[in-house]
Amino acid sequence: MAQDATGAAGARLSPKSDEAGLIRAVQRGDQDAFEQLVRAYDQSVLRLAMNLLRSAEDARDVYQEAFLRVYRNIHSFRFDCSFHTWLYRIVTNICLDCLRKRKVRKEEGTVVETSEGPVDRINEFEEESAHADPERELFNRQLSQRIEGALRDLTPRERTVFELRHYQGLRLRHIGEILGTSEEAAKNCLFRATQKMRIVLGDFV
Amino acid sequence: MNCEKVAKAIPLYFYGELPLAEEEQIEDHLEGCAPCRAELERQKALAQVLDRRELEPPVGLLAECRHDLMRAVYREEAPARERSAARAWPMLQEGFRALLGPVWRWRTPVAGAALLALGFVAARLTQQAPMAALPAGVASETPVLSMVRAVQPEASGKVQIAVDETRRRIVSGSLQDRQIQRLLLAAARDESNPGVRVESVDLLKDQALSREVRGMLLYAVARDPNPGVRLKALEGLKPYAAEPDVRKVLAQVLLKDDNPGVRIQAIDMLTAKPDDSMVGVLQHLVQKENNSYVRRRIEQALETMNASVGTF
Repeated sequence: MAQDATGAAGARLSPKSDEAGLIRAVQRGDQDAFEQLVRAYDQSVLRLAMNLLRSAEDARDVYQEAFLRVYRNIHSFRFDCSFHTWLYRIVTNICLDCLRKRKVRKEEGTVVETSEGPVDRINEFEEESAHADPERELFNRQLSQRIEGALRDLTPRERTVFELRHYQGLRLRHIGEILGTSEEAAKNCLFRATQKMRIVLGDFV
Repeated sequence: MNCEKVAKAIPLYFYGELPLAEEEQIEDHLEGCAPCRAELERQKALAQVLDRRELEPPVGLLAECRHDLMRAVYREEAPARERSAARAWPMLQEGFRALLGPVWRWRTPVAGAALLALGFVAARLTQQAPMAALPAGVASETPVLSMVRAVQPEASGKVQIAVDETRRRIVSGSLQDRQIQRLLLAAARDESNPGVRVESVDLLKDQALSREVRGMLLYAVARDPNPGVRLKALEGLKPYAAEPDVRKVLAQVLLKDDNPGVRIQAIDMLTAKPDDSMVGVLQHLVQKENNSYVRRRIEQALETMNASVGTF
């Protein structure tokens, strides 16, 4: 489980004023400043997209789209919320759109069907190296499938709240701000998400 | 607080999202209630299982995303540069009208001839458009090359010209210079020019201590279409052959690379430091490998690790 409520960025751009200065420089059209700003946040953005969408290709698209939106719209950023909140609002909106489209298409994320049954592309090589211990491999495979199933059962919003709280370590109040909802609604989402997952993963936990 | 309420509050309690007073009530209850303590344990177990499931972005993906983003940003800047060139055009046109006087009424043929003469001047003007910062004190500049892409006459008698520009800058500096490294990292991914990629990877391969360079080398090994580039990148990764991210990519090469030279290099690196976790992969590989040298090396490595050559 992850970082503090401010996300990974706080550690990389020490004083707040540095960030404000960078944002102002980007607003004046300074590309180097934009690159620095991106580098302060992009690892956590990529990780969030990767874990929400369970696909490296989709994560790459989210990264590109999110930071391009930042670049195109930063002139309208007025410092009335933190840059982290503003950026994460953009990122989660893109991810939510993607998850909703997937729900419609019933897409499977990283899991692909092969002649030998479903395979998680991301774990392709980890699975290879687990051949030495078939029992462990079977357990891991079943657990992976069950977790993927549990995550798929969540609504896009529950999934996002869970992701931001569990893996990114953000506080529910902050998550509410990012998603444009109340802390109470974020709490309810987190509660429902954990309940659903405990039901699906019952024998494993 | 009764068991039903505690059970409902446990996820929020676990994530530290309850007000202090409520948290204390739950702790009081947990002290005397075994079933609720078991419920909390199940919540912890769920979190642990999910922790193990956290995905790390594949090696090299971050560097790739950064590169693509800055390329897209640069492309977004291009229309702005064209707009700035377009703003300079009426000014030049006015200047020429004054200079040519009555000749201006034959503007169509004259405009064509003037265009050639204007090419250099317009290029000098458009050079004022913002450019990415150069590495301090290490740049020199050659004249601008420009090419007219489209000419559009307007009803008003004016003409709009789209000009593509290529600037060549000579940049020099040490390999430790961050800007130089950034340029080389970008060049190492230049899809259009394998020669530049080989040179760039060759120069960067001794800098693999840097995370970014290492990411680029891993990316090149796994994805570059040119075997020469892949071999250079493998050379740079040699000192790190024992590290898990490198070993993972080496296994990927052995499974997927169609060039035997690259596979030979990969198997040499992988078997230089035998590692039990690779047994399964090696046993799988030995069955499908069609290059006799690579197959022999795999067999030797399996023998060194006291592992059987076949899977049963």
